[in-house]
Amino acid sequence: MEVLRKYEEVNEKIRKGDVVVMTADEYVEYVRRYGVEKAAKEVDVVTTGTFGAMCSSGAFLNFGHSDPPIKMFKCWLNDVPAYKGLAAVDAYIGATAISESRGIEYGGGHVIEDLVSHKEVELRAEGFPTDCYPRRYLETVITIDDLNQAVLVNPRNAYQRYNAATNSTDRVLYTYMGTLLPRYGNVMYSGSGQLSPLYKDRGLETIGIGTRIFLGGGIGYVIGEGTQHKPQDYLATLMVKGDLKQMNPRYLRGATIHRYGSTLYVGIGIPIPIINMKVAKTAATPDEEIFTEILDYGVPSRARPVLRKVSYAELKSGKVLLGDREAPTSSMSSLAYAREIAETLKRWIQEGRFTLNRPAELLPIHKEFKPLEVRRYEPRVKDVMTTKVVSAKPEDDIKKVAKLIVTHGIDHVPIIGPEGKLVGIVTSWDLARAVAQDKKSLKEIMTAKVVTARPDEALDLVIARLQQYRISGMPVVDEEEKLVGIVTSDDIARLLRRRVL
Amino acid sequence: MKLKVIYEKKHVDKPVLASVVLKTGTLVNILEAKMSPGGGEILVDVPKAEYVGKVIEAFKEEGVTVKELTKHFELDISRCVACGACVSPCPVDAIKLTGQAIEVDEGKCVRCQACVHACPMRAIKLL
Repeated sequence: MEVLRKYEEVNEKIRKGDVVVMTADEYVEYVRRYGVEKAAKEVDVVTTGTFGAMCSSGAFLNFGHSDPPIKMFKCWLNDVPAYKGLAAVDAYIGATAISESRGIEYGGGHVIEDLVSHKEVELRAEGFPTDCYPRRYLETVITIDDLNQAVLVNPRNAYQRYNAATNSTDRVLYTYMGTLLPRYGNVMYSGSGQLSPLYKDRGLETIGIGTRIFLGGGIGYVIGEGTQHKPQDYLATLMVKGDLKQMNPRYLRGATIHRYGSTLYVGIGIPIPIINMKVAKTAATPDEEIFTEILDYGVPSRARPVLRKVSYAELKSGKVLLGDREAPTSSMSSLAYAREIAETLKRWIQEGRFTLNRPAELLPIHKEFKPLEVRRYEPRVKDVMTTKVVSAKPEDDIKKVAKLIVTHGIDHVPIIGPEGKLVGIVTSWDLARAVAQDKKSLKEIMTAKVVTARPDEALDLVIARLQQYRISGMPVVDEEEKLVGIVTSDDIARLLRRRVL
Repeated sequence: MKLKVIYEKKHVDKPVLASVVLKTGTLVNILEAKMSPGGGEILVDVPKAEYVGKVIEAFKEEGVTVKELTKHFELDISRCVACGACVSPCPVDAIKLTGQAIEVDEGKCVRCQACVHACPMRAIKLL
């Protein structure tokens, strides 16, 4: 493909002060009005931006040596544990580590923000005493200025796009995609769409190892593909690094996702040099042509059901159609900050403060993303359930059911309708109520909306449901809602006893 | 209009709110209530604006302290990043994203705290 401009030519223009830079928002509009041919001829660089929760982030810190010196075996910053499987006074503080006293309200992301804000941070360390490092314990206060190195190194940032989330269940879900209201009450999304750095160079022709970027308000570099990089599905990611000491707390924010955890909001901006027509075209992709999928986070499985395909234009509009109903949308990441980052990077380039790097190596354009197969035996519902279930029919007499409960020493009696389908459940408590309230028919006292399990379901999920609904057992049904067994907390307790003892 | 009503020990065993409703003939919606034998407070909404004065008077006649809550939603703009995490979780559609921050219709707000929890920056407080 014909080269439109070389990195050296772009940098020469930056030095002279006559480089033509547009933010991705401006460039999309420019191409819409004047066409991609004219835009490609005139525009040297398109700046992008994104600002959102990026959990795979953290910083390497070097504290320097105390006297007497310590080989830190464990260490905490403001009570948040940092990884100490490194040399004596090197540590890695991860964004999602949480405070041992304040929990998820304060985590590694907050520590990083406090460091960048030049705030004092408490350092506590336990030593592994040796002849060369005799100290056993250390407690002091540091600021980022005391550190020899403070380097942000993020294994996975800047997802090209991300799926949107909704919730089919009857209760509010608190997920890493934010608060999801019941019965498809809202849709949450993330990513800056047409400003997204990796979407604007979809072919990964300019972004590679060594690309200089805006990172957390300072200068950073792409150091490789990010973990879970999957560019063939437009799910490319980046591994980045940058000197924390030069960053700005406006663009590195500690955050707490309710009932989920701590994280770090990271601001990233990448300049895309328009080196050829292919890049000129991908950089012009508007929100209308950037698609993602709305997934049902009500299904707690790796394979969440896809409800529909949706464009970032729709997501940004504030509402989307789900079935025949409109659901409000809003974003976990900040579009306002993404725009600000693209603007800032544009200004840096125009002012000659930021030049472009030709990548030393490009990133892979195809990469397998494998799931984790658990090869150990894990009990499923069918392994612990009782298959000889004592059941009753809706028209049965209450006394008969009471007798069943007493003779079999059970607590739950599933009620089976025509064709063996489960229609309700009666417990010993329901019978007590029948006596107290003088009810005669089973239909009056049975619970018709039954919490059930599937034979292949993982026991963890069943335990969570037992707790959530405060029940002690549930019928197990197949795909046709036919009763195949019953699983109770007694069954699970028995299994645990077998495994632990 | 939202009102904060403060009960002292002597008011706790009296049907203060019911008397106010009977006396004024208007509906009052309870948004929050904390009551113990020693006293407490409730937060109510008076949907019909023309009755607010009457309701305040009636509460005063019962002897409790009444405060008008005109500003009860506090946003720390130094923390807010205008993401939108609080916008669609709001069940009464009271929050809008406007450029660099959010805008709240305090009249619509029912103080359910959904936004307070949804905010990753912990920038929202309900006073």
